[in-house]
Amino acid sequence: MKKIDNFIKHTFKGLPKEKREETIKSVTETLVEKVEDLVDSGLTEIEAIDKTVLEFGNAEDYFELIEKKQKKERRLKSLRHYRNDLLFSSVSATIIIGALIFINLVYADVVIWFVVPALAVLFWPLAVLYNLLNKRANRRNADE
Amino acid sequence: MINSDIIRGHLESVILKLIIEQDRYGYEIASCISERTEAKFIIKEATLYSIVSRLDKKELIESYIGEKTHGKKRRYYKITTLGKAYYYEKKQEWLELREILNTLLEA
Repeated sequence: MKKIDNFIKHTFKGLPKEKREETIKSVTETLVEKVEDLVDSGLTEIEAIDKTVLEFGNAEDYFELIEKKQKKERRLKSLRHYRNDLLFSSVSATIIIGALIFINLVYADVVIWFVVPALAVLFWPLAVLYNLLNKRANRRNADE
Repeated sequence: MINSDIIRGHLESVILKLIIEQDRYGYEIASCISERTEAKFIIKEATLYSIVSRLDKKELIESYIGEKTHGKKRRYYKITTLGKAYYYEKKQEWLELREILNTLLEA
């Protein structure tokens, strides 16, 4: 039975402390029941324990049902993140374009070439804005 | 063996049904399931216990310590009134779903 204890402890070691003890206790209890049943049906104790451990599956199976939803929610970037992205890209784009204008005027003020790279750089915040608006629309649809 | 994703949403009802028939303990539920499906579907213990503990939390079932033969202790699960109601609701849902799929797939 020691083997069962170790197996369960190992399986659930990643759990937060409050939940761990309770889970370990109840799962161990049920697995011991299973081993006893298998022994009654004619297996040796070692065989019974091996079979029980093999058929248990893993901790992911245990939590799949409980935590799948929570994990998904956590992974979703919130709208605030997208807003921060937009802020960052606009500020950076402004700095880059400012630098371009400065270089253009100081070193070669005959040809106004900074417009071309500036246009290219502008697409960065534009893309981020596009993304943000899309996400917002999606979220609104999902809420309805 | 059947894809467990499809059956997953109905496992709660299956377990409730088995407990309604009579009070059962954990391993008995698992062995009952594989016996009745002739091992076409085998529930992983991990999945089973997570569902059982969730049903317990939702107060659809209750547990008590009972004695098996040879005086070995077993944690038995017993259905509550709430659990029964939930089961019949789920069963109704399943009958409707079956009806719909039958019409759509068999036609």
